[in-house]
Amino acid sequence: MHPLTLTFLIFGIPALIGLIYVYARGSSGLRSYTTTRILLTIPMILILATVVFFVMRILPGDPIDSTLGPKGTAEIKERFAEQHGLNDPIIIQYGRFVGNVFTLNFGNSLIQSQRPIVDELGERLPATLEMIIPATILALGLGIFLGTKAGVKRKSATDYSARIFSVMIYAMPIFWLGLLFQLIFGVWLGWTPIAGRIDPTIPLDRITNFLVIDSIITGNWEALRSVLAHLILPTLTLGLVLSGVFLRLTRINVIETNQEDYVAAARARGISQGTITRRYSLQNALIPVVTLIGLQVAILVAGAVLTETVFAWPGMGRYLIQRILSRDFTAVQSVIVFFALFVAFISLTVDILYSLLDPRVRY
Amino acid sequence: MHDPMLDEVPPEEQWQVDLGEVGLFRRILNGRRWYGVDWWMVVISSFMVAFFILIAFFPTILASYDPLDQVGPRFLPPGETPDQEVIVQRTDSDLESLADLAVRDERVRTGVVQGAPSSEDIRSQADRVNAELEAGGSDDEVRLRIVRFDTLDEMLTGVTTGDVEFGVGSNAEITAVLDDYPELFIRGPITGEKGGKSFPLGTNQIGQDVLSRLAWGSRIALIIGFTASLFSLFIGVPLGLLAGYTGGKFDRVFTLIMDSLYAFPGLILAIAIAAVLGPSIINVIVAIAVLYIPTYYRIVRGQTLSTKEGLHVEAAVSIGATKSSIMRRYIFPLVIPSVAIIFSVNIADAILTGAALSFLGLGLPPTTADWGIDLARGQEFIQRAWWLITFPGIAVMLIVLAFTMLGEGLMEIFNPKLRKQ
Repeated sequence: MHPLTLTFLIFGIPALIGLIYVYARGSSGLRSYTTTRILLTIPMILILATVVFFVMRILPGDPIDSTLGPKGTAEIKERFAEQHGLNDPIIIQYGRFVGNVFTLNFGNSLIQSQRPIVDELGERLPATLEMIIPATILALGLGIFLGTKAGVKRKSATDYSARIFSVMIYAMPIFWLGLLFQLIFGVWLGWTPIAGRIDPTIPLDRITNFLVIDSIITGNWEALRSVLAHLILPTLTLGLVLSGVFLRLTRINVIETNQEDYVAAARARGISQGTITRRYSLQNALIPVVTLIGLQVAILVAGAVLTETVFAWPGMGRYLIQRILSRDFTAVQSVIVFFALFVAFISLTVDILYSLLDPRVRY
Repeated sequence: MHDPMLDEVPPEEQWQVDLGEVGLFRRILNGRRWYGVDWWMVVISSFMVAFFILIAFFPTILASYDPLDQVGPRFLPPGETPDQEVIVQRTDSDLESLADLAVRDERVRTGVVQGAPSSEDIRSQADRVNAELEAGGSDDEVRLRIVRFDTLDEMLTGVTTGDVEFGVGSNAEITAVLDDYPELFIRGPITGEKGGKSFPLGTNQIGQDVLSRLAWGSRIALIIGFTASLFSLFIGVPLGLLAGYTGGKFDRVFTLIMDSLYAFPGLILAIAIAAVLGPSIINVIVAIAVLYIPTYYRIVRGQTLSTKEGLHVEAAVSIGATKSSIMRRYIFPLVIPSVAIIFSVNIADAILTGAALSFLGLGLPPTTADWGIDLARGQEFIQRAWWLITFPGIAVMLIVLAFTMLGEGLMEIFNPKLRKQ
């Protein structure tokens, strides 16, 4: 089975079922809100796709030259352009591209023996997901944990160190944090590898292209150890950078809910601070944090591009940079449309989830 | 329009009068009473921002060398002095400096080790001395006869026996064996200056001074940050005012476009634009400016929507003020504080994005002295030279920290409603 289909089965199907469930059970207001959001996504993605399409067409470089190199004769170049429809009027190329976007058939790559883009994405997308999912979990866990600690005990040492941490992490360029980790853990201490997804000398059958899942399915424990070791630094880098924002928001919201009357009432009834934090403050304080996850997807994707570049991680971001440098129009367009779809899907899911968590929200 | 009501100046409150009488320093100290931590954030970060701006205008304060020149050995660690070439001579020799040789009317025998760069260097130093003498109106001239020895030991023996007048060689190598030659001593570096070049933050893979590149890089970072933010401010603010005030189709279309831009990962858009435009600083600025237009647009539009319901706007409408003057004189002044705050934070963001672009190799021409480029180059040598990636990163972090803290501190002070702590 195609890795992209598998990826969709693993993540897309449960999310879709959830969405349909919410859609069916929700109020009519929620239903019309969801419909509008989905309909609005279409022009948004079209606008982006159009911008990217025309922007790529006025690039100074040329995919024909960068693919064939200096040895391509005029005749070969002509045939190549003919094959890929690069000679057609730009409006026809545009029409073909928009058609491809709607059928989600992204066409063939212009370089690298013209593989279908879908196949190439099938290799890269799992790599990116394998890195950003643990990173998001780490960011949420660390951010909420430290944020709560800091918010409950205001102006304590924990509070100040948590705030300094979040400000520092915000100001740090993510690629520099990655470089520092490489230097400290990879070069000086020698604990972890600093580049790639797996030791290339270890054989591993690729089924889903999620190397963690693949090595577990095939029972290849040596490969699993190598994969996990390679995962540590990129995940830590991306997770730490994202955690700063969650920390700040959790802290502020915990402080705010702690001043609410119902928390004072609970305290007056003699309920312990731990219970108050868990059952009273945190539950309400976390609602805005959920919205933030939706907003953070854009930062997550941008961070993934940089992290992948630093750690030579063969994911979507590195693919995008490589293909921009070799002027592979179709690949670049497809990746950007794919990112746009990804961001739109996540933020829609988060918005709907929000209405479930907070019954006061009515659409 | 002159309004007689405005001529009556309301009496100043007591604390304002007090502040008028004290000096600037006292005022800064007094400010902390009202604003606490935020005041200190603003003060400290203002100093940091001022420092970076100073360095950007006058990089030579920190930079002793041209950032693009090879000025020292490759991969010199921070703080270590590079090896110098020194003159070694007999203790009974009366030679004080190269210029003393000029009065002699013969070629002076000079010892060097075969294959070392010393012979070139002592010759160019002699040329320099000659040029100075000529400028001073003297007819004398230093003339050297270079004698090449196979090893350092042979050269030093040559100096001891008087075969050559003096020898030239590497400071470190000569110092190591000098104890074996009690008749010899090191006169000093061939340039005659005390103490040689120093590289407090080391040198990079092609012998450029890291500190000089950092200092010149602050200029690039600030140019990108300021101009890109100004660009987006000048486009985003009027659009936001217009969309918020007029509403209707214009508002809906622009909000849709801005929201699509805002929701999409900005860096990726900047990558695409920068790749199209090619490497140059103006193109980087354009690519980054496009990203942040929606930020200004959204904030200004939101504030316009809420202020246009205000009584003062209603009054202006009723006395027949035109739309443009309402926007300029009744709404715009109210959004200035938030725009100023976004501007400061925005500069920090723009600097980060600019550094990311040049790190990816998509922003500036590869020879520029820029922090992002230095980081990308440094990564290639991460096994060998830790200082190449450490210092540019610290520089980016400090400048971003300064502008962010300034923006956030100002926000807390100007906008007490937003104070959430």
